[in-house]
Amino acid sequence: MSNRAITTPAAATPAPATPSATMALPGTTLLDRLRRAASSTIFRWTLSISGGFAGMALLLFGFIYWQTALHQRQKIDRTILLEAHLLAQAPARDLEEPRLEARLAAWLANDPHEVRYAGIFRRDGRHLAGNLQAMPKHLPVDGHARQAVFKGIDRDHDGDDPEVVRAVATAIGPDRVLLIGYDLDELEDVQDIIRRALELGLAPALLLSIAGGTWLAWRAQSRIARLHAAIGRIMGGQLSGRLPVDHSGDDLDRLATAVNGMLDEIERLVEGIRGVSDSIAHDLRTPLTRVRNRLERSRDEAGTRDEFQAAADRAIASIDQALAVVASVLRISAIDHGRRREAFARVDLAEVLSEAAELYEPLAEEKGVALLLQSRPGSIVVGDHDMLLEAVGNLLDNAIKFAPVQTPVILALTAETYGLRIRIIDRGPGIVPGERDRVLQRFYRSERSRSVPGNGLGLSLVAAVMALHGFRMEIEDAGPGCIIDLHCQPALPWVLHNQQHSLAAAHPDAS
Amino acid sequence: MSRMLLIEDDAETVDEVSGYFRSRGYEVDCASTGPDGLRQARDGAADVLVVDRMLPGLDGLEILGLLRRSEIRTPALVLSALCEIDDRVRGLRAGGDDYLGKPFALSELAARIEALLRRPTHGAETMLRVGPLELNLVSHTARRGGRILELLPRELRLLEYMMRRVGQTVTRTMLFEDVWSYNFAPRSNLVDVHMGRLRRKLDLRGEEELLTNVRGVGFVLKSPS
Repeated sequence: MSNRAITTPAAATPAPATPSATMALPGTTLLDRLRRAASSTIFRWTLSISGGFAGMALLLFGFIYWQTALHQRQKIDRTILLEAHLLAQAPARDLEEPRLEARLAAWLANDPHEVRYAGIFRRDGRHLAGNLQAMPKHLPVDGHARQAVFKGIDRDHDGDDPEVVRAVATAIGPDRVLLIGYDLDELEDVQDIIRRALELGLAPALLLSIAGGTWLAWRAQSRIARLHAAIGRIMGGQLSGRLPVDHSGDDLDRLATAVNGMLDEIERLVEGIRGVSDSIAHDLRTPLTRVRNRLERSRDEAGTRDEFQAAADRAIASIDQALAVVASVLRISAIDHGRRREAFARVDLAEVLSEAAELYEPLAEEKGVALLLQSRPGSIVVGDHDMLLEAVGNLLDNAIKFAPVQTPVILALTAETYGLRIRIIDRGPGIVPGERDRVLQRFYRSERSRSVPGNGLGLSLVAAVMALHGFRMEIEDAGPGCIIDLHCQPALPWVLHNQQHSLAAAHPDAS
Repeated sequence: MSRMLLIEDDAETVDEVSGYFRSRGYEVDCASTGPDGLRQARDGAADVLVVDRMLPGLDGLEILGLLRRSEIRTPALVLSALCEIDDRVRGLRAGGDDYLGKPFALSELAARIEALLRRPTHGAETMLRVGPLELNLVSHTARRGGRILELLPRELRLLEYMMRRVGQTVTRTMLFEDVWSYNFAPRSNLVDVHMGRLRRKLDLRGEEELLTNVRGVGFVLKSPS
């Protein structure tokens, strides 16, 4: 099956350029295919997963930045508070103007990274010392570290941009203010690093996942297009077609394999039905043609009323044969539909067998075949007595038909570990293993049985009855001859109870 | 001459059945609706009713139910396209005396109508006699003249069935339904084989043939002339 699947044209030419491979799809240009790929589920999933990823990465980086900045700021704050404290809380003598200025200058000079700012101002804002020329506005003189913007000074050589600093203003004596500041450049550096990491990591990852999603969607899309095309051909009537399978074992592949299995079964059934209608037509045509020929001949040749009557009788016999075929077909389909399961009741198989033997014994005698019955009383199953009798009867009919003269046909009922077994043995030609399944098909008749009258429905009817009862039928070799086993489940007590209950409910007036 | 009332709405079936039975010497009245059929049946002129199940106005089984309730016991055969066993049982329960699924062979219908018209008397008799044939229903023994017939139980029942319907054509299906009480059609010529065996025991070579085959229909037990 799979071999056939790979060699189908669809699988051999997956390229969309082949018109036949994409026949079933409306638009086949590259743009159409891209558009279809973009609208595919896989693509949308990929996009949303990438988006989610990017969001997570942004959150993570943001968290890192936030934590780092916080830490950095706290460190700076501690430093400036300490410095301000050291400068401002010195002994009174050191706070005198020249000494404080000198200490401030020394502090400012000791600044290799050029991050320090300082200034001493009068309360009215006049500049006394330090590298800050003016008091920034909005900076309360309270000894707390705050964010401030210093204009007109360019310590980090970044042009005219105002410097963003952490600063603390503290009062020295009644009329002076000391201002200490630390540049936030370090923090900006961290920010830069994180932004660059984001650019380097996230953007390619996003691009990659979008590209990957597109590729996956494209790939899936083209496989689906191929499956689509194959399905289109099968729906178009080419029932032997199969879905392309690439043996990758992925989901689509397994699905295609399963569908192919289903198609095998459907093809088998359709072939079977085709065979059945052929056989019915054939089995009807034979007697009908015979009738036609006889009537024609008698019209031309029969001279007397008796001759006409004889011809009509033969025609009626042939038509009865045709009608019997039709009746059998209808009977089997009625059994197949299982409409009569509600009429199931307790059936003693021993009784069924003895009735069947009684019914067919004269037939065996006429044929010169000995019919032997080995029974076992009290073998109760739940089923339809008449149907089971008909089934066993059909098997006996076949066995007697095929048994050579002076040989026995054995009808035996035995208890097995799993239930009851009805076994019918004849010494006829038997059924070769290859044919055992086929003889159960409707109208199948093995070549060897062509010479024997019958319409090839006997075993099909048995199979239908067995299926309705949930029993199993097996055909074996009797070497020489044929063994047919019917494995029947004995009735379980609760089933019996339910059956009786439902029977009583269905026919309250029947006792 | 027997009078049949055919209650059937299908014109083709009416033509076919009435033509066939008129040619066999029946007087045939027809009704094509349920109420009309009921009215004619109530007149009581018919000896036998043939009632279709699906009728306009009144269902065939309803007609039978109404007739039986008003104590009109005219034998009736129910015709129906529904020939599942359940339908058959329902038809007989509703007051039908026989049931025949459509489509049917006219000869089959004729044999059954004949059987209904000459319904055997299942009386308390212990001995049946047809010409030289004698069947003792108590001791289950049969003889032809002085010769004792060695019959199996089934053959005894077949013989009894035929002796109660002497001169009537009996179809294979009737035998299968009444003697075997099976509701499925025999596949082989089973009934023929059974009857053949009975005939070989009944009619020895040189004796007058009492049990004969009616080609294409069934069997008849003739009363010797």
